[in-house]
Amino acid sequence: MAQADVEYESDGSGSKAKDRFLKPLVADYEELLGRFQQTESVRFEEFTAVWRNMGFSSVFYGSLAGNEMREFCHLTLTMAFNYFLPPYSFQIRVGGLYLLYGLYHTQLASPKEKIRIALKDWEQIQKFYQDSVNSQHYDAVYIIRKLIAENAVLYTAMPQMLTFRVKKKSQHHKVCEEFRDRPERVKDLISTDMLLEVANIQGHYERLKASVLERSSIAVTKQDLLARLHSCVLEFLHWQDRHENRGDADHLVYAEEKAQQVESSNRAQLLASIKTKSYGCLAEASKSRRHRQVQMDTSISGTGYIKEAPKYHKSRAPSLRARTYKKLCGEGQCTSCLMRTQCFVGCNRAAPPVTLQGG
Amino acid sequence: MAASSSSNVNENIPVFEYKDINTKPFHVGSFRTAWLEKLKPIDYSYEEKYEETEDADFAKEMGIAPETLDELKAICSVDTLRCQAEDESLDTNVVPPDPTLQTLIQRKKKQDYKGTLRIDKISRVDHYQDELESLAVGKRPEDPVDLVPEGEIILSINVLYPAIFERFRYVRPHMTLQMLGSHSLVDLRDAICCISDLQVFGEFSNTPDMAPDFISKDHFKSAFFYFEGVFYNDMRHPECQDMSETTIDWAKTRDFPTFQKAKMEDTRFYDLIVKVGYPYLFCHQGDCEHVVIITDIRLAHKDDCLDRKLYPLLTHKHRVMTRKCAVCHVYIGRWLTTNDPFAPNDPCLFCERCFRMLHYDKKGNKLGQFLAYPYVDPGAFN
Repeated sequence: MAQADVEYESDGSGSKAKDRFLKPLVADYEELLGRFQQTESVRFEEFTAVWRNMGFSSVFYGSLAGNEMREFCHLTLTMAFNYFLPPYSFQIRVGGLYLLYGLYHTQLASPKEKIRIALKDWEQIQKFYQDSVNSQHYDAVYIIRKLIAENAVLYTAMPQMLTFRVKKKSQHHKVCEEFRDRPERVKDLISTDMLLEVANIQGHYERLKASVLERSSIAVTKQDLLARLHSCVLEFLHWQDRHENRGDADHLVYAEEKAQQVESSNRAQLLASIKTKSYGCLAEASKSRRHRQVQMDTSISGTGYIKEAPKYHKSRAPSLRARTYKKLCGEGQCTSCLMRTQCFVGCNRAAPPVTLQGG
Repeated sequence: MAASSSSNVNENIPVFEYKDINTKPFHVGSFRTAWLEKLKPIDYSYEEKYEETEDADFAKEMGIAPETLDELKAICSVDTLRCQAEDESLDTNVVPPDPTLQTLIQRKKKQDYKGTLRIDKISRVDHYQDELESLAVGKRPEDPVDLVPEGEIILSINVLYPAIFERFRYVRPHMTLQMLGSHSLVDLRDAICCISDLQVFGEFSNTPDMAPDFISKDHFKSAFFYFEGVFYNDMRHPECQDMSETTIDWAKTRDFPTFQKAKMEDTRFYDLIVKVGYPYLFCHQGDCEHVVIITDIRLAHKDDCLDRKLYPLLTHKHRVMTRKCAVCHVYIGRWLTTNDPFAPNDPCLFCERCFRMLHYDKKGNKLGQFLAYPYVDPGAFN
């Protein structure tokens, strides 16, 4: 018996729409935030200048059928929220906040899609708010307050709706390395509280030792452990600062990037040349099918390639057999190879030639 | 001291058990309390804060002069985000020419492709289905008693259709319900419409008019939910049995943690300990099992539907194609016949009229030998 026909899934989270829109959207965000990072400021004016320059409001234009507009707006806000949280640097987080503000107000869904804040992220946001207040960043503070005051926020359990899609490879947000905050791991480990505790324990130990023994020749730890720890940490922090200022790290990174770029552009060129060779020559359709002539797609984006004219090979490339012979036996003739029809191993000319047994 | 209190607080804050898949179990009521503690009442109220009070608070906190405040407001206003000139009219339905944003490039390609298609393939039913989500948005009740209070929790629950059809196993047809935290589990149970509730058992070829008296929903009233090791049974009616007993007894003999029992009607959503995004079970009619996933828990917002009477609210429902009568292909099949000499195939579907016309004479006598069963189409709830 025929089974009941069911339309293809369209669950509330819009998984298909999400897959399609995700990559270009993230690319656009990183472009915007990259430019904002280069302005080296956290002022909203700078942000709006970059925003207007890129014409970012138009990200919502274009007719999106049915619920797609709503799902797209939801997706934009969800993706943008990732940039508002650690491990990004303060400037990028401010950029993320401005981005959320911009997207919330320029979205075309009605009623507006809200910004979802999960309970677990509230602490981070409060800390950020406090930092902004302490650093007197009026515009950042004003914008956070404005978003909360105009009910743009939904207070949720989790940042996204979860539908237990185990099989689908979940789209983890890949942290953009250029926006990452400078790692504070040493400072976190050797904090002032920790140093105080170490001092306390050391003092306690010394007192116990003095009360038990008369001579204090044995010592488990160094006497000046605290001072040395402190000086180590300070030295490291100074080194970090100096490197940042001098830009040594930058040079290294730049050189690395350059090398990577050259590599990637080589690869891109190779890809491009392969593509043009295969797509460059199109069979011309017969007269009756000329209206269905396949057009060459000249709008290939992403590879950033230079169009090459397809090369016409006059001679055929040497065959595998010929290449093997050439490689293994070299320019000159090798007697051992000539005696055999096939050369299986790389013949060592130093070794005496092997004669065939039995003719 | 400090450590124990932080761990207490942490228990009520939902965190991921598996990233992007589901959370660890937490108590819904405590989650709500946790949020309400952290927020000021004005933050989650339905009113928008007055601009003057907001400005005054802001100026006080930051200690800035009114002129600076005005300047700041001008800088941060939404108009600065406008990308085109004031008087330029803009058609937001069309991708602007020469797009630089990647999203727009992709969208333009799709738009150009769509332009080449001759037929736009959005069916009317899909359109209505999309609109179902936003049908109740922003509704306020006439009677203020029915207003959803501020700070109330709204849960979104996906109830999947039972996986009895082959096709149902590869896609995930479901219905999405929105419930309030103060609802009890019986409200959820009553809101779930499953066609197995309407099924009529028995063979009715001799008495075709008696069929509607025997709906399964009235016969088999037991049901249970299973959340985090607790079975919640429906014990409202005297004929309801404790269906979970079998499972609990079986589990005792095996190496399972002991399960607990509770009453469905006494449990509100606030009392539940659940994981968000994790599949649970709803079982009724003895063997009709539905997977239940709580997809979202959040505080109520002024743009939600604020009328208590409209909850549980249906926001999404999968549409199932109905199967039509084998004779007229117009009406949905209501009768299934087997061993029927009149039917072209075995088994065969008929609508009410064609069934009567073919199998019974004018006086209502049965013609020929056949077996007839009332059929409820899965698409009956469309």
